[in-house]
Amino acid sequence: MIPGVLEIVSVGLLISACLAIFLDEAVYSVSALAATFFLTAFLYALADAPFVAIFQFAVGIGTIAVLFLSGEMLSERPETKTKSSTTLAVAGLGGVLSLPAIFFSISSPNEVVTDFSFGDALWNFSAVDVVLQGLVILTVALGITIVLHKRKRIKKRRGVQ
Amino acid sequence: MDFVILSLVMLAIGIYGLLTKRDLLKIFISIELIATAATLNFVMLASAMSKGVAQAFLILAFSTDTAVSAVILALLVVVSKKYGTSDISKIVLPEEIESEEESEVGQ
Repeated sequence: MIPGVLEIVSVGLLISACLAIFLDEAVYSVSALAATFFLTAFLYALADAPFVAIFQFAVGIGTIAVLFLSGEMLSERPETKTKSSTTLAVAGLGGVLSLPAIFFSISSPNEVVTDFSFGDALWNFSAVDVVLQGLVILTVALGITIVLHKRKRIKKRRGVQ
Repeated sequence: MDFVILSLVMLAIGIYGLLTKRDLLKIFISIELIATAATLNFVMLASAMSKGVAQAFLILAFSTDTAVSAVILALLVVVSKKYGTSDISKIVLPEEIESEEESEVGQ
């Protein structure tokens, strides 16, 4: 494994977690949560846990799809948009928070935990089917979200007129 | 103790969001972060101790977590449809409305 990858993924994980909590717009917040899920899945893959990584990926896709839909239904538009300086400050906060995690705890996981590789899990154990099903669900959910968003816009325009 | 501090920091971020945010969607995201932190800790400890069997239990934990998320999300949708807002500080319970009406009548 390339040295430093775990540390970079960990910093990204905490920055995206901070952004998911602190960003005001629902869509950006959910996108940051999606990044958190995918980075977690990547971390699991690096830690030699391929099945858990694949399941995290699939579950993450499902959750994000549903969150996009419900976010579109539930969220009211915030009066003020999040400033880019605030976003940068939150990202910096995530970076600072990740410092103790990097310097005090992270080290490479032990060698060889399972007796099959990531490729085995994907192809021989058909885990790729689960991932593809998740992607199909995500595509459908994104399509529905876009349609709902357009309908909302049309309703607003009619209300204004 | 690999990755324990990482998952602790993530847990802290989740708890902070759960305590301070008033938007229902943000509260749900905080719960998701807490669940992810717990899972991360479990996976990394299992990986460090070379326990491959832990992966099987993790998949069970994922299923439970997803079911819990689905129930929470359904409740959120119901609450926001019923009260017309996703801000918990703006949600007014029927008993509070009744008591306000009674106090107005008394005056």
